[in-house]
Amino acid sequence: MTGSTASGTAHGSAAGAPPAAELRGITKRFGPVLAVDGVDLVLERGTVHAVVGENGAGKSTLMSVLYGLHRPDAGQVLRDGREVRLSSPLDAIAAGLGMVHQNFRLFGSLTVAENVVYRAEPRRFGVLDRRAAERRVEELSARIGLDVDPTARVDTLPLGVRQRVEILKALHRQAEVLILDEPTAVLTPGEVDSLFVVVRRMAEQGTTVALVTHKVREVLEATDRVTVLRDGVVTARLTTAETTAGEVVEAMIGRGLVPAVNPRGAVSGEPVLEVSGVRMPAAPGASRVQDVSLRVSPGEVVGIAGVSGNGQRELVETVVGLRTPEAGTVRLHGRDLGGLGVRERRGLGIAYVPEDRPGVGTAAALSVADNLALGHHRSPPIGRRGRLSPRAARTQAAELVRRLGVKTAGVAVPLSSLSGGNAQKVVLARELHHEAALLVVEQPTQGVDVGAGEEIHRLLLEYRARGGAVLLVSYEISELRALADRVLVMLDGEVAAELDAADATDEVLGAAMVHSAGATGGGER
Amino acid sequence: MNALAQRLRLGAPAALVPLGAVAVAALVGALVMLAAGVDPLRGYEAMFRGALSVSNIDFAVAGFTAILAMSLAFAIPARMGEYNLGGDGQLVAGGIAAAAVALSVPGPAALLLPLCVVAGALAGGALASVSAPLSTRAGVPVIISTLLLSTPMVALASYLVRFPLAEEGSPVPQTPRLPDAAHLPAFPGMSYTNVGLVLVLLVLLVTVYVDARTPVGYEIRVAGANRGFAAYGGLSVPRLTLGTLASAGAVAGLAGAVIVMSQPFRFIDDALTAPGYTFAGVAAALLAGGRPALLPLTAALFTILSVGAAGMERDVDVPRQLGQVLQAVVILVLALRVLAARWMAARARRAAGGRA
Repeated sequence: MTGSTASGTAHGSAAGAPPAAELRGITKRFGPVLAVDGVDLVLERGTVHAVVGENGAGKSTLMSVLYGLHRPDAGQVLRDGREVRLSSPLDAIAAGLGMVHQNFRLFGSLTVAENVVYRAEPRRFGVLDRRAAERRVEELSARIGLDVDPTARVDTLPLGVRQRVEILKALHRQAEVLILDEPTAVLTPGEVDSLFVVVRRMAEQGTTVALVTHKVREVLEATDRVTVLRDGVVTARLTTAETTAGEVVEAMIGRGLVPAVNPRGAVSGEPVLEVSGVRMPAAPGASRVQDVSLRVSPGEVVGIAGVSGNGQRELVETVVGLRTPEAGTVRLHGRDLGGLGVRERRGLGIAYVPEDRPGVGTAAALSVADNLALGHHRSPPIGRRGRLSPRAARTQAAELVRRLGVKTAGVAVPLSSLSGGNAQKVVLARELHHEAALLVVEQPTQGVDVGAGEEIHRLLLEYRARGGAVLLVSYEISELRALADRVLVMLDGEVAAELDAADATDEVLGAAMVHSAGATGGGER
Repeated sequence: MNALAQRLRLGAPAALVPLGAVAVAALVGALVMLAAGVDPLRGYEAMFRGALSVSNIDFAVAGFTAILAMSLAFAIPARMGEYNLGGDGQLVAGGIAAAAVALSVPGPAALLLPLCVVAGALAGGALASVSAPLSTRAGVPVIISTLLLSTPMVALASYLVRFPLAEEGSPVPQTPRLPDAAHLPAFPGMSYTNVGLVLVLLVLLVTVYVDARTPVGYEIRVAGANRGFAAYGGLSVPRLTLGTLASAGAVAGLAGAVIVMSQPFRFIDDALTAPGYTFAGVAAALLAGGRPALLPLTAALFTILSVGAAGMERDVDVPRQLGQVLQAVVILVLALRVLAARWMAARARRAAGGRA
């Protein structure tokens, strides 16, 4: 959270030397879709170059071309000034390119060292020289300041460490140009900061890094140059030290970002949600919760801040009925919800936007209409006396899609065909449509591009303005500041601080979260 | 209109896969026949005649009834991603229960017929229901527990039909002939085809209706698509599992009762399992690919393959095992469907462009 990287020290290549990698006039279409249209990209040696854009802007396609995953329809790829033909990632690796994908490609049951040297193993008597592999990992990690145990099994490691293994893998294969595809999507704030330190170190040592992202903060914090894509074309080429967040965002979405205005609502009446003394021990895959109490009133957004894995998920699951606490009560409008399941609680007025969208919040294989019907399928107009009207479900879905501006080819297409932002809008549309007294929201703009995130914030504030009560869990301080009236910081299962939004400055919240990160031994998820 | 076009475009390849599977199977069969020196056209004609000619249709329809029922027994839990492979046990449980009731309860047909059918359905349903808590509480996969519970049930029925329910003096392990009041009324001019067909078709209609037009059917589909999503929406996965398995077992039990209450009106050891109705039903359900309305078509196809093969052997001297080979090829090609789906998904992703 605290900008701990040495940003803005753009020490680009010496004039005259060819750039480490260059894309010239790249065009790529998929069927009728023009994904990338005549894009030029210059990655100068030893720089960190941000490739930014909203979801679907073409940045992943462009990087896939650079890494040999896609053959461009037109255009050239140059390495050190010479044209290279990349018909597969193997060609790209041979040409000194490396890529860390969003979904790591590691063997969970093998050790770090074995993963790093895979397909480029040091051999001794024709078999893998394990000792040499481990030495190699130690040497590489020392060089860029990473702390990785080469003998650890990969599936025992947190995601942030697995990412380091991917980086080491690329370095081991002599990658001089390293592509990081949305590297921070899976990281906690602390891990993000240390990743940026490593990126900076690599650049100082001459590695060229292309950082694909849609988060403006990362662009400003960690890069030297910026290329912004929108709808498959370059809309801006910027030098980080000379640009502003506003300029980057405008290039990304084509208009300035209107910060969500958050006039404090008129908080009124009896609390909607009252949690008192909720406690549960830590379990495999679950953090502990220690005597948490909170209340949310109508027209109020209560934010839960903290590093992921400090009991937020467990608290939320207790409220919605997916988890039973060891002690403590949850009351809705004064009624004790103890012993009630998810269905009963939903019936009493709880709606829920979960953090895990693919695993919990949606069913990718079902249609958009089916995804929008869950929870509404037993009440009119969709369900009526033990019957279900598919037509009513489609009509209602079409109406919700229209109202929230979900971009989809129709309500009968599978949800998997939607982008992350639009899928999230589907979840939000379904839950808002309950008009429940309490809306529990986790990470509402995770994996969502700037434009859609802004709309989601607006919808949440509108809901609050209608008198709704919102319990919001977010790991993004900016989001909490944009939405919450009060902020509770969770630390190792306890409420470590409770702040009025006006007092919840970046410094205060950041300090509490960094503190909590130390207390739990770094970013566990 | 646009949405309709979209649906057709998405639906077309999915529907082509089963058709392709059948076409490939037919082609393989033709090659086998050519290799054996038989004209494939004559071979297939003999196969169809074996199932559909006037003299054979009666028997074929009875087989169709059983295969359709067993395809439902597989397809109902498959809608929520649970696979019932215990059809044999449930079929036998239904058959032996119906026989036991018919042999021990005196009464008129109006009482005995429904009583036997219900007893069969209850027995099959009860056996299948055991697998639900095993799965939701103890974590034993349904596909395994149904399969494993089947064998002891078949053995138990085998014991019952040899000792407590055996026909005295018979060299074959079988029950005595059921009383006339427990004979399902046959269609005019038929001896095997009877009211059982109507019962199974009714079950099919109910299944199609529940699947598409009721909240429960929707919930089953949601649970099949994503358990986490179902739990999040407040659906009770244990209850849905119990419900689908009980229904599936009941349909299988019904099929067992229908077989026992048809010609020759006895429970004969092995007679329910030997024809392989269960796995023909599984194959038919897989071919229908989660669309209950297609089950009559696919069940008919597998009936022709299994019943017609005997006619083919008689007429053109191609071994009846070719019918099983064709069934196997259909399943193999269907397995490729998974690959096809993956390929299409990858293509769709790429077509969606450079999504971050």
